[in-house]
Amino acid sequence: MANLNIRSKQERTYQAIVIGSGISGAWAAKEFCDLGVKTLMLERGRNVEHIKDYPTTNLLPYEFPHRNQIPQEIQEANPVISRCYAFREDAMHFFVKDTDHPYVQEKPFDWIRGYQVGGKSLLWARQVQRWSDFDFDGPARDGFAVDWPIRYKDIEKWYSHVEKFAGVSGFKDGIPHLPDGEFLPGYELNVVEKYFAEQLKKHYGNDRHMISARCAHIHGNAEYYAQQGRAMCQNRNLCQRGCPFGGYFSSNSSTIPWALKTGNLTLRPDAVVHSIIYDEEKGKATGVRIIDRLTKETEEFYADVIFVNAAALNTNAILLNSTSNRFPNGLGNDNGLLGKFVAFHNYRARVSGEYEGHSEFTTSGGRPTSGYFPRFRNVYKQETDFLRGYAAGFSASRGVGPDTSGIGMDLKNSLLNPDKYGPWRVGSHMMGETIPKETNFVALDPNQKDEWGMPQLRISVDYDDNDEKMVKDYIEQMTEMFTKAGFTNIQSADSKQAPGLDIHEMGGVRMGKDPKTSLLNANHQLHAVPNVYVTDGASMTSTSTQNPSLTYMAFAARAAHHAVAESKK
Amino acid sequence: MNRRHALRHIALISGGLALIPSCDFSKDDILAAYKNLKVTASQKALLAAISDTIIPAGEIKGALDLEVPDFILVMVNDCFTKENQEKFTAGLTAFPDYVKESKGKKYNELSTKEKEQLILDAAKLEGDDSEEGKRKAAIVYFLNSTKRFTIQGYMASEYIQTEIIPYSLIPGEYNGAVLITDLQKPRING
Ligand SMILES: Cc1cc2nc3c(=O)[nH]c(=O)nc-3n(C[C@H](O)[C@H](O)[C@H](O)COP(=O)(O)OP(=O)(O)OC[C@H]3O[C@@H](n4cnc5c(N)ncnc54)[C@H](O)[C@@H]3O)c2cc1C
Ligand code: SF4
Repeated sequence: MANLNIRSKQERTYQAIVIGSGISGAWAAKEFCDLGVKTLMLERGRNVEHIKDYPTTNLLPYEFPHRNQIPQEIQEANPVISRCYAFREDAMHFFVKDTDHPYVQEKPFDWIRGYQVGGKSLLWARQVQRWSDFDFDGPARDGFAVDWPIRYKDIEKWYSHVEKFAGVSGFKDGIPHLPDGEFLPGYELNVVEKYFAEQLKKHYGNDRHMISARCAHIHGNAEYYAQQGRAMCQNRNLCQRGCPFGGYFSSNSSTIPWALKTGNLTLRPDAVVHSIIYDEEKGKATGVRIIDRLTKETEEFYADVIFVNAAALNTNAILLNSTSNRFPNGLGNDNGLLGKFVAFHNYRARVSGEYEGHSEFTTSGGRPTSGYFPRFRNVYKQETDFLRGYAAGFSASRGVGPDTSGIGMDLKNSLLNPDKYGPWRVGSHMMGETIPKETNFVALDPNQKDEWGMPQLRISVDYDDNDEKMVKDYIEQMTEMFTKAGFTNIQSADSKQAPGLDIHEMGGVRMGKDPKTSLLNANHQLHAVPNVYVTDGASMTSTSTQNPSLTYMAFAARAAHHAVAESKK
Repeated sequence: MNRRHALRHIALISGGLALIPSCDFSKDDILAAYKNLKVTASQKALLAAISDTIIPAGEIKGALDLEVPDFILVMVNDCFTKENQEKFTAGLTAFPDYVKESKGKKYNELSTKEKEQLILDAAKLEGDDSEEGKRKAAIVYFLNSTKRFTIQGYMASEYIQTEIIPYSLIPGEYNGAVLITDLQKPRING
C-alpha cells in the first residue's frame, strides 16, 4: 500500500454526516446516535473536551494578568470580536479572532464566531424562549418573506424533547405568545424586578409582562442530569469559561459526550468542510469534502444523509461552495435565492435608570439569568407604523461599594469595609425582529480566499426603516414604562451597533412551501436535494424576537427523526 | 500575585519575551519589561512610593507589599492606548518637578500627611491647552490612573482575595430581597 493515510472508501462511509458540532449540529448527532445511526460529525476547529479543555474555569480574579481585560494590542488587531461583551481574558480562547478568519464586509457586519468542538454553545448566554404561532404566522399575516411551512404544533413536542434533556429553568407564565415549556424550577426575580412587573400590570393591564427569563441551567432538581454527568448550576456566572459542573447546557457538557457514549458517533475535529459532493447520476448528495485544518490535505467522507449545521452564515458558505454541473450556483440553488433574505436581531437600543425605592433591600448570591420582557407590539394585530415588534431583557441590581474619595488609611479602611449602597440600577436592552429582505445577503467573494483556499464570505446586511422606527418606539415605550414605575435618571442610548453583534444572524437557506421561493421544505430538506438537511439559523424564514438557539435545537432533533424515518421507507 | 508568574503570563499573551527587571535602582535604566513604555527604575520607585501613599501598610499589608506598582505598569503597558500611555508617562515624568515646585522638597522627603495632601490636591489640578495646562492635565491623568490601578491591583490581589476577603467561586443561591440591616459584618482594620 502506497499511502497508509488513504483509508478505504468503506472506512470513510457512515450512515449520516453532520457538519458542525455547535448547538444545532450536536443535537442532530445525538438524536442519530440514540436511534442507532452511525454518525460522523465534522468540525473545523480543535477538539474541546468537557472540563479538561476549560483552562480558565477555576481561575481566581488575580490569576488573570489583566484582571480579565483584553490587552490593547489584541483589541486593535481584532476590532470586530473586541466588540463582543463576552470576549474577555477568561474566554478569549473560545472566540475566532478577526485576524485568523477574515471575511469581506460589504457593509459593516460584526461576525462573532466560535470555531471549536462545541461551537458557540460554550459561549452563549443560555436564554431559551419558545416561539409561538404569533411568530410562525408573521410573514403570512404581515406580507413579508414567505409563509413558514410549519406551525407551533409541528415543533411543540420537539421543544419539550430538547428542553427536558438540556435542562431549562423557568416558570409557567401563561403568556399566549411565549408558550410555557418543560421547566425545572425557575430563578426568582428580585424585589425591584417584581415591583416593575406589578407596575406593568397596574398601568397596562395584562398586555405587558416582565418575567424571569427561561435559561438552560440545571436548577432545583439535578437527579435526571447525573446520567449526562451534569450537576446543579452553582450560580458562578462564569459560564463562558466552560462549566466544570455542567450546570448549563453546552454541546461539550451534554449532547456530544452523550452521543459518544452510544458508540455510534465519530467526532472528527480539524475538518474544514469545503463542499458537499453531489452525484448527478444518483441525483443526490453522496458525501462531504474536507480540508484538514492542520495538514491542509483533502479528504472525502460519504453518507446517505448530510446535515449542514455550521452556524447560519457558514452553512450558506458551504452550500454556495458546493457547485456541480447540476448546481452551478450552489447546492439546491435552483431559484438563485441561496444566501439571500438574511436577517438578524436588532439589539441597538438600551434604556437605563435608577430606583430610590426598596432602599432597605439588596441581593445576595448569584443567578445565571435575569428578567425578560416578551414582545407586546403588534402581537394580535398590526397597530404601529412598523412591522413586528421587540422583546427586551430587563434587570435590576444593587451594588455596594467603598468610598474611594480618600487616601491612605482612610481609603484602605473604606476599601476593606465597603458599605456605600447606591440606588437600585435598572436596565433594559431591546431584541427586535428584523424583516428578511433579498437585499440582505451573503455571497462568496470571487477573488479572496482564506488560508485553506476557501472563498471568503462577503456579507452585505443592513438595517432598514422598519428597524429605525422600532428603535425609536422601544426607547419611547421603555422610557414611558420606567417613568410610570417611578424610576429616575432615565437614560436611553442607540449604540448603532452593526448587525451581527446580536449573534443571532439567520436565513439564506430559508424554509418554505414552494421550491420557487424557498430552499428547504417543511422537514428541513433541500427541495432539490432531499438527503441534505439544514437545521441551524440558515433555515429561518423569519426571525421572531426570541433568542433562537432553542428553536435550532428543536429543528435539529425533529429533522434527524425525519431523516431516520425516511431511510426506513 | 507572584510577579515572575505574572510576567510569564504576559510573555505568553503578548507572544514576546518579557525581561524581568533588576531591582537595582542605582542605575536609571529603562525597564525592558514594559516594552511600550519608557519607564526608568527611578520612575518605578516613585510610582511605588505613590501607591504606598494611596494604600499604606498597617495591620494588613499595603500596596507595596503586593507589588502593585508592577501591576500598574503592566496594565498601562498592555491595556492603554498609545495616546493614554503617553499621557501617563508625561504625568509621571512631570510629577517630581511639580512636587519640587509646590513643596520645595522631593516626594520621599515629605511626611505621610504632606504626601497624602499633595496627591489629593494634585488630582484636582485643572488643565487647559497651554503647555503648562497640558502638563497639569497629564499629572491629573497619571494620578487618577495610578489610584484606580492601585485600588484594583490591591483588591484583586491573591493576598486580599484569599486571606482578607476570601473570593468565592461559588456565591450561593440567589436571594432577591435581603435586608441590608441583616448583613452586618465584622469590621476589618487596615
Ligand atoms: C456571547 C454569546 C451569547 C449568546 N447568547 C445566546 C442566548 O442567550 N440565546 C440563544 O438562543 N443564543 C445565544 N447566542 C447564539 C448561539 O450561540 C447560536 O445561536 C448557536 O450557537 C448556533 O448554533 P449552531 O449550531 O448553528 O452554531 P455554532 O454553535 O456556532 O456551531 C457551528 C459549528 O460549526 C463549525 N463550522 C463552521 N464552518 C465549518 C466548516 N466549513 N466545516 C466544519 N465545521 C464548520 C464551527 O466551528 C462551529 O463549531 C449567543 C452567542 C454568543 C457568542
Ligand atoms: S452559573 Fe452555573 S452553569 Fe454557569 S459556570 Fe456557574 S455553575 Fe456553571
